[in-house]
Amino acid sequence: MDYDLEQFGMSKEELFAQVDHNDLESEKITAPRYSYWHSVFRVFFKKKINIFILVLLAIIILLAYLYPLFVEYEKYGNLLDSSTKHLSPAKAIEKLGFSIHWILGTGASGESTWDAIWYGSRLSISLALICAAINMTVGVLFGALWGFSKKVDVVMIEIYNIIANVPYILVVSVMVMIISANFWTLVFAMTITGWLSIAYFMRTQVLIIRDREYNLASKCLGTSSFKIALKNILPFLTSVIMTVVATEIPSYISYEVFLSYIGMGMSDTSLGRMIYAAESAMVTPGWQFEFWSPVAVASIITVVLYVAGQNLGDASDPRTHM
Amino acid sequence: MTKYLLKRLLHGVISIIFVVAIVMLLIYSFMDRNLIFGSDSAYSHQKNNQKTSYVYQKWEDFGYLDYVPYSDYLKSLVSSGDMDEETYTAAVKLGQTAEKDSDATKEYVAQFTEYYESKGYTIERVDAVMQRRKVADGGASLLFAYKNIPVTTRLVKYFAGLISFDSVNAIEDIEGERGLTWTWYDPVYGGDKFSPALIGNGTKHKYLIYVDSRFPFIHQNMISINLGESYTVNQGIEITTTMTQPQGNTKKSLITYETGLEEMSADNLHSATYSATSYQDDPIAVARYTDNYTSVLLNRSGKSKLGYSFIIGIIDVVLAYLLGLPLGVLMARKKDKLIDKIGTVYIMFIIAIPSLAYIFLFKAIGGTVFHLPTQFDTAAEKWTMYILPIISLCLPAIAGLMKWMRRFMIDQMSADYVKFARSGGLSEKEIFSKHIMKNAAVPMCHDIPASVLGALTGAIITERVYSVPGVGNVLTQAISKYDNGVIVGITMFYAVLSVLALILGDVLMSIVDPRISFSSKDR
Repeated sequence: MDYDLEQFGMSKEELFAQVDHNDLESEKITAPRYSYWHSVFRVFFKKKINIFILVLLAIIILLAYLYPLFVEYEKYGNLLDSSTKHLSPAKAIEKLGFSIHWILGTGASGESTWDAIWYGSRLSISLALICAAINMTVGVLFGALWGFSKKVDVVMIEIYNIIANVPYILVVSVMVMIISANFWTLVFAMTITGWLSIAYFMRTQVLIIRDREYNLASKCLGTSSFKIALKNILPFLTSVIMTVVATEIPSYISYEVFLSYIGMGMSDTSLGRMIYAAESAMVTPGWQFEFWSPVAVASIITVVLYVAGQNLGDASDPRTHM
Repeated sequence: MTKYLLKRLLHGVISIIFVVAIVMLLIYSFMDRNLIFGSDSAYSHQKNNQKTSYVYQKWEDFGYLDYVPYSDYLKSLVSSGDMDEETYTAAVKLGQTAEKDSDATKEYVAQFTEYYESKGYTIERVDAVMQRRKVADGGASLLFAYKNIPVTTRLVKYFAGLISFDSVNAIEDIEGERGLTWTWYDPVYGGDKFSPALIGNGTKHKYLIYVDSRFPFIHQNMISINLGESYTVNQGIEITTTMTQPQGNTKKSLITYETGLEEMSADNLHSATYSATSYQDDPIAVARYTDNYTSVLLNRSGKSKLGYSFIIGIIDVVLAYLLGLPLGVLMARKKDKLIDKIGTVYIMFIIAIPSLAYIFLFKAIGGTVFHLPTQFDTAAEKWTMYILPIISLCLPAIAGLMKWMRRFMIDQMSADYVKFARSGGLSEKEIFSKHIMKNAAVPMCHDIPASVLGALTGAIITERVYSVPGVGNVLTQAISKYDNGVIVGITMFYAVLSVLALILGDVLMSIVDPRISFSSKDR
């Protein structure tokens, strides 16, 4: 039978046609191609603000890690010249000539605030990243084990109930008091109990999805617990983990600032140390720059890290990939 | 319910004991003891053997060990009557080395060594340091016994001494008859104004129960809590006293002493404690008091550390809940609208920025734009001084409450019962106020006791920035000066509060939401 296809507005290709049976072809399932990380980045970059945040983050990281490599920070370079102390940017440029060092003025011993900030940022960001890396690794791995094993749960929940009663800040301060503060002891103090709350959080998350039907089905089909954890549960938790990371990293910078402010931080130049040292400058007219610049930079760093982390967390949730 | 609560309390007590034990272990056993001499100028001035004895003396003061010099042992023998003064002067003199001791000394040194070694002490003898055939400055030979206090002993001692009761047999030598007198007319107020009081003789405090105009009006001195004694910051003073004692300038008023003398004075007669032999030797005391209860505290115009922290904290909690919850509800109702976006940005900033940064920002804005006082002054107290600290505490608290209220509301909005209510024809307003809000408020209740009790712990940064004399800086001060007793005490205080807060939070939740029940019977 021959119809006039033109009258239906159809082309010949749209008609049914005979296809030969093919064992190999019939095994293939046609579904839209889906790559997890590809989708994560697609969703992430769809928001224009994220590009801006990432650029800002890149600038901060470059300044904090590369700038100190090329520029020697001399804290006591101008110590003997008392007229260089506590200068506002305009006066510093007028006095010492225009260079990038003086665009934020000078500090209590005539040092460049700009240089000090990036040396301090490097230390503060490194501290935050290392603490976050340790706490997140231990916390997530242990939390997963904690959620999976009932035996571990019985013991750990008691330990958690005891340690959670002590405020984190008390633990950190007592640890710092015992092992006087420097970079690595601060890392130790912040990680010794810091992972516990993350592990507890992960335990709850694992408990929620551990006994879902699809995991039960997986188990019935003989999948090993390790594979269930890796393939069934971990993807579910990626966005949760990212969100936790987003809040953790800025919080370590805040803790460092806090500890330095109450006089328990390290003696090297860090953002917290700078704020602590320049506290009296805040109320002195004309000296405010050396106080507000580290405060502002610390705030920018934490906000940028937080927003980037939160948005990446949102993007890594598969439910947003539709 | 009661059974469950008792179980929870028992759990709480056990975890408190563990926490205190851990902190004790950390600061007394793991910490490098030489750190305490870091900023001690007296230490660097000590020479030779004197330095050793100074070090041990200090370690005893800080509570690390029990230290007994040889001469103290001999003195105790003299005071107990086992030795006369003459033998003491002969025996107390140590030779330059052990061989050079006199016979009398040798005998007592042997006795000393034997006595303390049997008690588990370590005996140490340091020979004299010689310089040009003479004993060098501070180089006299030493003999002493010391013993580290084990954590278990320390812990048992600490918890045994935690609560002490004042009894009529507390003071050994007392004039007059021991006993308690109940009076309806407190002699402090002249004896004719109605004011009940319980007065003791033989007790440590003279007034065991009394009434005055200070909050909470009825006071007692019978039961005292001993969280830990300060070694450095307020030497010898117990932490609860440090925290609850009024501060600021002394406040004088016309008072009538026991002898009838009327005078403008700041003495608080209700705080009188026994002070042995203070009455006989002192004409000032004789003119005022009739017995040895002469040690009094002074009335001061300011509040206690706890008072300031609690006032600021409690106003902050009330304001935060009054503002945070409605704002959270509003954000949930206008989800993805402008107000929700503004709120989210605000929450994000508060979470991300170090609290120090925005507290200083508030301080700068409040001080320059609104001309509010930025420094707390206990001498000239004004209500405006409280504004900035309260705002600094309140804004982050509001952000936290907004965040969770919005979250819980939005979680509830997609629940089946909401769809059912909507299909039943209820208005959106009714659904929100009668259904969603009630369900979302339940988890919010859990944190109320924690916030209220948290007001007692003070805020470290806020109090420091505005120089509020509150509890927040007790811990930081103690840590910077290695005040071990206070650190243990504060840990105990924090632990008790957080255990209580958790239990009270659960109880409050079960009261608010009848569906939550802790006893298996009700289910």
